[in-house]
Parts: sequence; C-alpha cells; structure tokens
Amino acid sequence: MPAPASFFALENISKRYGGVHALRDVDFACNRGSIHAVLGENGAGKSTLMKIMTGVVQPDEGRMTLEGAPVTFPNPAAANRAGIVCIFQELSLMPELTVADNITLSRPPRRFGFIDGRAQRLRSEELLARIGCEDINPLSRVSDLPLSRRQMVEIAKALGRDPKLLILDEATSALTSADVDRVYRMLFELKARDLSILYISHRMHEIEALADRCSVFRNGRHIETFAKGSRSNDEIVGLMIGREIEGQFPPKLRRTRPAPLITIRDLSWEDRLNGVGLEAGRGEIVGLGGLDGQGQKELLLALFGVLRGVRGTVTLEGEPTAATSPKAAKSGQARMALVPEDRKSEGLILSMSIADNISMASLDRLSHGMFIDAGRTRRAVERAIEQLRIKTGNSGDPVSTLSGGNQQKVVIAKWLATNPDIILLNDPTRGIDVGTKQEIYRLMRELAEQGACILFYSTDYEELIGCCDRVAVMYDGRVVRELEGEAITERNLIASALNIVEQREPAHV
Amino acid sequence: MNRTTDTIIAPRRLRLGPDDKPVIFAAGFVLLILLVGTGYTVYTQGNAPLLQPQYLLQQLQVGSFLGIVSAGLMVVILLGHIDLSVPWTLTAAAMMATAVGGPWAIPAGIGVGLLVGIVNGLGVAYLRVPSMIFTLGMNAVMRGLMVAHTGGFAPATAATDLMQYLAVSRIGGVIPVALLVWLAVSIVAVAILTRTTLGRAIYAIGNRERAAYLSGIDTNRVILIAFALSGAAAGLAGVLLAGYSTKAYQGMGDAYLLPAIAAVVIGGTNILGGRGRYLGTLVGVILIVLLNSVLSIMQMPEAGRQIIYGCVIISMLLVYGRGGRVTG
Repeated sequence: MPAPASFFALENISKRYGGVHALRDVDFACNRGSIHAVLGENGAGKSTLMKIMTGVVQPDEGRMTLEGAPVTFPNPAAANRAGIVCIFQELSLMPELTVADNITLSRPPRRFGFIDGRAQRLRSEELLARIGCEDINPLSRVSDLPLSRRQMVEIAKALGRDPKLLILDEATSALTSADVDRVYRMLFELKARDLSILYISHRMHEIEALADRCSVFRNGRHIETFAKGSRSNDEIVGLMIGREIEGQFPPKLRRTRPAPLITIRDLSWEDRLNGVGLEAGRGEIVGLGGLDGQGQKELLLALFGVLRGVRGTVTLEGEPTAATSPKAAKSGQARMALVPEDRKSEGLILSMSIADNISMASLDRLSHGMFIDAGRTRRAVERAIEQLRIKTGNSGDPVSTLSGGNQQKVVIAKWLATNPDIILLNDPTRGIDVGTKQEIYRLMRELAEQGACILFYSTDYEELIGCCDRVAVMYDGRVVRELEGEAITERNLIASALNIVEQREPAHV
Repeated sequence: MNRTTDTIIAPRRLRLGPDDKPVIFAAGFVLLILLVGTGYTVYTQGNAPLLQPQYLLQQLQVGSFLGIVSAGLMVVILLGHIDLSVPWTLTAAAMMATAVGGPWAIPAGIGVGLLVGIVNGLGVAYLRVPSMIFTLGMNAVMRGLMVAHTGGFAPATAATDLMQYLAVSRIGGVIPVALLVWLAVSIVAVAILTRTTLGRAIYAIGNRERAAYLSGIDTNRVILIAFALSGAAAGLAGVLLAGYSTKAYQGMGDAYLLPAIAAVVIGGTNILGGRGRYLGTLVGVILIVLLNSVLSIMQMPEAGRQIIYGCVIISMLLVYGRGGRVTG
C-alpha cells in the first residue's frame, strides 16, 4: 500500500508506570483521509497511547511529529488546539448541565462577553444534526438522557472542536445499532473530508466495516500494522492475544429445564416495567435480549432491591420475597449478586485497593462481630485473584491501576465471594477485550454447572447466542418471547426484539 | 476534568504513600513551630520554655479537648459529610452534665451528645437533608434549648469531682488524665477505622456511596452511626471542658468547630470524604494547639494571630490538600 506522508507520527515512545511498562519503544503513524483501527487486549497499551497523543500523560521517552514538525503536548488543551480530539471511553459530560452547555463547554459562543444562549443552541442543533440526532433537545439536561444518547452528545461535543485527528476509544460500546449506523456514516463523511481517524474497538465486525488499516498492540508493544483484508479475523485475534484461540464460547450442556429457583410474576415499575414474567432455575443461564432500553436493566435492579415502588411478585424457592435493598438481596433466602452496568461508578470504588474492593460485599463473612479478620480476608482475596486470574502486582494497589478487563474481574470476584445463588449480570463484557470476554463466558458456564442461576443482559447478540440456555426477549417493559436451545438465532432475536411475530418456533412464548 | 485522569494512573509505590505525605508534612511543621517559638524566647528571654516537658504536657492536656472533638468529626468528614453542630452539642453536654451532677453527670453529658448525633444522622441519612444544613440547624436548636434552660446566663451548677479529675488531674503529678482519655478515644477511633466493617464502609461511602450501596452495605445505618459517634465525642469533650473550667458556660464550644475541621483537614483527610488517616488528625490537633500557644507566647495581638492562623491553614492545604481525589 503506497504510504502517503504521515499526518501524526510517534517514534520510540515509551511510558512506565512504576515498574510496569505501559508502552515500550512504540512507533506509530496515522494518515489523513483514513480510518485506522487500533486493536489489542485490555492492558495492551492502547489507552496509554491515546493519552499520550492527546496530552493527558507525557511519554518518558520518544518524540512526536505533527505534519512533519516535532510537537509536545503538555496538556489536553494543547492537543486540542493542534486539532487532536479524543472521545474517551468513560463519558466526560457534566450531568447537571444541558446538552448545549456540554457541547460548547470549552468554547462557548459569546456576545458582549456573555455566553450567547441562542448561538449555543443553534450550534448544538447543527452538530447533533450532523450525526443524525435531531431528536435530542439541546436544552434537556444530560442526566435525563439514556446512556446511548449521552454517548451521541459526547460525539457531537468532539465534532464541535473541529478535529483534524479524531480518536474514538470504544465510543460505540454503549450505542444502539441505529446510532452505530449514524456514527459510521459520520466517520465516512469525515474521512472523505481528509480527517485522520483512530478507532479503538473490541468489536471485530465494526473494524471490518470501517477501517482502512489496522494496528495490533500487545503488552505495550506495537506488534504489526496492516491493511484491512490482508489478515483473517482468526489471524488478527491470534496477533492480539499471542496465542491461538479455541472455541469462543464454552459448550452448553443439553439437558431438561430445571425447576425454577426464581419465579417472577407481573413485575411492574413506573412505566419501565409492565408486567414481566420469567422463571429461571439452578444451572441455567437465562439471557435478557431485546433492543436497548426495553426494561432489561430495570428488571435486574428491581430484583436486586434497588428500585422503590416495584409491584408484582418474586418467589425464591417457592418463598415470596421482596428485596428492599441490595443488603437484603445479597443475604436473603437465595443470595443474589448484581454486576452493575457501570463498573467505574457502580461496581467499584476506584481509589480503594483491589483487596478492599474484592472483600467489599462479603465483609460480614470475613469478620468476627464487628472486627474484620485480616488473615481470612487476605486468603479470600488471594483465592479470588487466583481463581479469576486477575493480573495485578499487588492487591494493595488502587483498583484504578488495573485495565478495564481486570477491573471487571474484580467486580465479579467481589460477588463470587458472597457465594451467590442468583447472579444478575448487566452487560458484563462491555468494553472488554476478547481474551477476558472468553474467560468470563467460561466462568459463567462453570458457575451455572455448580448450581448458580444466572440472568445475563447483553447488547451483543453473539453473546446471547453463544452463552445462554434460554433468552427472554424484552420489549416495552415486558418479556415478549422466550427462545430456547436451537431457536436462539440472530434472526429470531432480532425479530422478537422488534416484536414481530413471524414464525412459530418450538419455543416458549 | 483531565486532572482526575492524571491521578487515576499516577504511580503509587507505597500503599499509603499519598496519605503519608500530609502526616509527615504536618509533623515537620510542628517542629518548625517549636523551633521558631524557641528562637523567639531565646532571643527575648534567654531561655527555652517551649522545649520543657512540662510545657509540652500542658499543651497536650489543653489539646485533648480539641483532639476528642476532632476524632469524632473526622469520622463524619470521611463520609463526605460535616458536623457543624459541634459547638452547641459540646455546650449542651457540658450544661446537662453539671445540671444532672452526681454519678450520672458524665453519662448524661455523653448521652446528650449521642442523642444530638443520632438526630443529625437520621436527618442526613434517612431524610437526605444535606449535612451542612441539617447540623447547622441542630446547632441553632441546641443553642435555643440551652438558652431556654439557663435563661441566657451561665448555669450555677458545678462540675463533679470525677469530671474535674478527668480534665485537670495528673497521674503522679506528671501525666494529665485528660491526655489518657484522648489516647483512649484515639485507640477506639483507629480500631474502628482500620479494623472494623464499619470503618471500611465509612471509607467506601466517602469514596462512592452508590457503589457502596450496590455492594450491599447499609449506607444509611453507617451514616447514622458516624454522626452518633461524632455527637458522642463532642459530648465527651464538653464534659471534660466543664471539668477543666469547673463549670459550664454559654459559648464554651464556639472555639472548637473551626480548629477541629482544620486539624482533620491539615492531617490529610479529604474534606470531600473517602481518604485520610487518624494519625494525621492527631498531628493536626497538635499543630493547631502549638501554633495557638506559640503565637500567644510571642505576644501576637489577637488580630495578627487570627490572620496567621488562617494563612497557615490555607497554605498547608495548598501544599497537599488539592485535587488528588479520584472521581472516576
């Protein structure tokens, strides 16, 4: 492939955190008018690379050139001025401000020295229209929008800075598929306008659809860069994890449906849940499917006792129960565990240590009276780190030092320590690398075989097909269809998600 | 925004590295105060009374009252809350203790503090009123109640012998009993914060209440207990202070709120909650007490003392108190 002059190039970049090499001697370049995918497991150094490119952190060694001239970015504002804009994985919006305030936050339009509200609104409308989100009112508060809409606002905000190089770090992980299409169109349009685009994603089909070139990172090194299509998917995955991968999903056991452990009847909450009915037994992985925002998350939160004013009945092992708090849910007749949607704000306490986080939910088991048994806690933490293969130097380090995949493992370890009967998983593989995903799939199957009952919400159809014994497809706060065994196909899932009943499958309706 | 990203990935070699810095810094400042004060007395009087054990023990005895208040307040600050009802909780406890008298004087005083703390806790945890408002309101309520009780004058009742013994006496004529009470409170505070599930929950809630709640921690109960502890500590300090001055009087707690907050924060506890060590608070109290004392030895007029006092607090916080909070 004839290489045009690089737009932005990095040479011999190294970055160490303590004793850990986040990046070693990396050369990397991206060009104008191309979409460049960056691949790698969590902890491979992708995020550090992006942070160096956007001035968030400084490299220990190496140099950067922008359009041939050497540059350094002492802070993100300097990188922004040079036209390098990043949409980070974690949302950076101010929840209590309006959409328009957020979009123009760094450079609000001014009139006589005051912020010009009208110009600000018009500018926001224009930017939102460019990504096909005319339905978002610029005057609504960000906290009132669902996660997928917020992500679109984030993208509009980035566009508002007139980027020359746009970096998307897992920017589509929270989006609905309609929005993903809009983002694709926008990216192609930007590419046609000679922008340089870096795209980080764990979703292979997105990379296939978008990228011109791909770079693979592993263990802080730049392994290889190649044009799209010159490597098969298997080869790419092999480069990423440095070993051949076996079957992505563990095999399912064929067996009869177990007696229900949890029975949900007519569960309703505000206008988000409208009479959910569902059963699940020990040894089962029951998926929750459907489009984003059809009440799947609310169902999990309602079961876990987080929501107030839930109507309907939940029976555990024949006993009617109504968990009124997570504390009640985790210590009831059948113990529940919830791996929440947002691991950074709900699943973990980032500044506390890995050990403290792992023991957080099971402290009552690890203490005598009110005093924590330090020895028992240490052993439990060591066991969990070993069982889940959490990659960590020292369990006393803050959990924020771990990569995304390992952080999610800590959340799971925290709940496994309570020895739960019912495990509620809210999109546990979001923004996680392939290797860790597979470990989580295997773990789910193991736990089910040991007698746990798993309710698994995922936005990824492949996961539902590969992992679940049964999938309950939700639409408008109800379970509209249950698919079982062979009937769990992408076609059926999508048809049910849209609530189109086309053909009768040998499945429970 | 990006400041926080920096701190998330900042290298940390020692586990308590970020928490140690304020403690060491504050301890260094304590030495500096002693040096400057000694330099002054050597220059003007030709001797060094500040370095005599007698003087230092005297300061620690006076500091005990502030130390006990600060221990309770620290627990609340670690939650990310504040207890502004300290002044009149302390005063009310002192007045009730002297009013009840006899063997029940001390339990009555601590009980009043505990009760105020529980009301604070109920308001903050269950009614979800911001603690700054609720405890400020409670402070006014207690003040009103005490004015009604005493008619606005200093109560005629006196502290019991036991209260005076705890506050004034010295074991063997050397070790102040008040210092031992402070030591006992400190041991309890350290045990709660480092060894118990309650302590772990306090740090967790101070960092991120939602994640703590979703981990199955009864967050409301923890907040209630923390405020109760703070109230009880203020009550105990009131009892001792009444013993020290042999009686209770209006406004006796007024001089304790700001210094207590300053001591906790100078000791490295994050004012927004979630981070801090008790040792820091201990050093912070000593710093405040010595600073006050040295400034008065140097015959600094009140106005100058206030200015220096305020500047020291602000400049110490400039050195280490900013940012660093991981907000995710």
